[in-house]
Amino acid sequence: MAEVLRTLRLYGRLQRAAARGALQYRLNLLIGVVTGVVYQGSGFAFVWVVMHTFPSMGGWSLREVAFLYGLRLTAHALYVLPFSSLIGLEWLVREGELDRVLLRPLNPLVQIMAKRLGVGQVGDLLAGVVLLVIAVPPLNPGMILFCLAAVVGGALVEAAVSLALASLSLRALNTLALRAFADDLFSKFGSYPMGVFGGAARWALTFVLPVAFVAYVPASVLLDRTGELIVPAPVACGSPLLGVALFALAYRVWRRQLRHYQSTGS
Amino acid sequence: MIRPLAGMARIGLRFQLAYRSDVIMSVLALVAQVFLLRMVWTSLYGGQGQTRGLSLEALLAYLSLANLQAFATSPIIPRITHFRIRTGTVFFDLSRPTGYLPQMAAFQAGHTAGGLLMLAPAVPVVLLVGTITPTAHPVGYAATLALGYVISLMMSLLICVIGFWTLETGAISLLYRLVSHFFAGTMVPLSFFPGALGVLADALPFKYMGYVPAAVYVGHISGGEIGRAVAVEVAWIAALAVLLWAVWRRAHRRVVIQGG
Repeated sequence: MAEVLRTLRLYGRLQRAAARGALQYRLNLLIGVVTGVVYQGSGFAFVWVVMHTFPSMGGWSLREVAFLYGLRLTAHALYVLPFSSLIGLEWLVREGELDRVLLRPLNPLVQIMAKRLGVGQVGDLLAGVVLLVIAVPPLNPGMILFCLAAVVGGALVEAAVSLALASLSLRALNTLALRAFADDLFSKFGSYPMGVFGGAARWALTFVLPVAFVAYVPASVLLDRTGELIVPAPVACGSPLLGVALFALAYRVWRRQLRHYQSTGS
Repeated sequence: MIRPLAGMARIGLRFQLAYRSDVIMSVLALVAQVFLLRMVWTSLYGGQGQTRGLSLEALLAYLSLANLQAFATSPIIPRITHFRIRTGTVFFDLSRPTGYLPQMAAFQAGHTAGGLLMLAPAVPVVLLVGTITPTAHPVGYAATLALGYVISLMMSLLICVIGFWTLETGAISLLYRLVSHFFAGTMVPLSFFPGALGVLADALPFKYMGYVPAAVYVGHISGGEIGRAVAVEVAWIAALAVLLWAVWRRAHRRVVIQGG
């Protein structure tokens, strides 16, 4: 326990330093945030424009789709903010920087995560929270708790996939493009009611790449639409736990691959 | 004049082909995008016949084409200029006897050719996913697309030139990409844009990079409208040429060579 607390404390300190670093370039930071908002906004603009003509998408109203969109964006931002430095993992391996990380007495993953703060992704968070707040259906306290758990769970699902793929980079495989593609699939397909996808695609987006569990499944619970899911309602209610389980699994994969890490020796 | 430009085009082509794994992933992302749009739109139509003058089949063909076009013609030169201004190597480009803008235009053309080459294996897949049939207006399509490409190229050059003032075009070119894709109608045909948004999209030149050629292809724009579109495109090119010339005259006096 003391070990965990110490890790958390050090993580907090390193992140504060990273944030101070990012704040040195204020204009760059501002432009990054604005770009994030515009980027996510233009994605939602598509939904807004088409739902001007068609009142329902897979049986969902504009407000319901907006809620789903906001839930996914917020979860996504919550994953990217701490994990954005994983993008540079290939570089750390190739340049032998990872050797330094391994020598320090702090969890290597925590050190890598603390290398940079994904301040640019604050724009994603902003866009997501705004959509959530505007479109949120009336919720009782229990549902609010579920909503918060769902956001964290969704972030963990995305983080788990990303971490598991990144682990392979420790064996000198370049997975950057593959990870970008997985992220792209989460972003593209995660924000729509799964009813619009055909049987096979829907099945794959639920059980092969768990895109549905990031936001669609929990949003269905909160919008009282569990009847249309292809998983049983109790499973849907437990969906935030799936994120925890997947992340624990991905972390094990990471530890295993880390043991096989061979330095480039340069 | 021609030889050095052909050289630039060759470099642009090689540049595109050098990052093959990235391109393969972005081709996969393109297929995923077309697939997503197909699913979403099919569900939206839900058995309705024509909406805003477009049948579902025509719409799906439109979307596949517009996305293929956007992919193949995506601008690279703002990134190149950005990098070369930042590192000061733009000095070498400027000291060559061939003009800077023609160099960049040739580079972009080469890059686009490379993009078309990389895209070739994906075309059958996208055509199949997007159910595209031969067009009734091949000449109109080719003309609007070619002129649209020239407009897109000139807009990219304008972004490059802005870099001589701001020294930093990363964010501007990303914003440009987002805005141009949206108003080009790669996800929604312009005929679906409501009210003021529709008026704005119609007035901006971005539609010539996606919507107009693709709509001509599927027959959504036809007859005299094609001729009018071509005329407006030519007018845009003339206007952009004047603007580019005026901005460039000022810009190249402002050149800052960083580092040394």
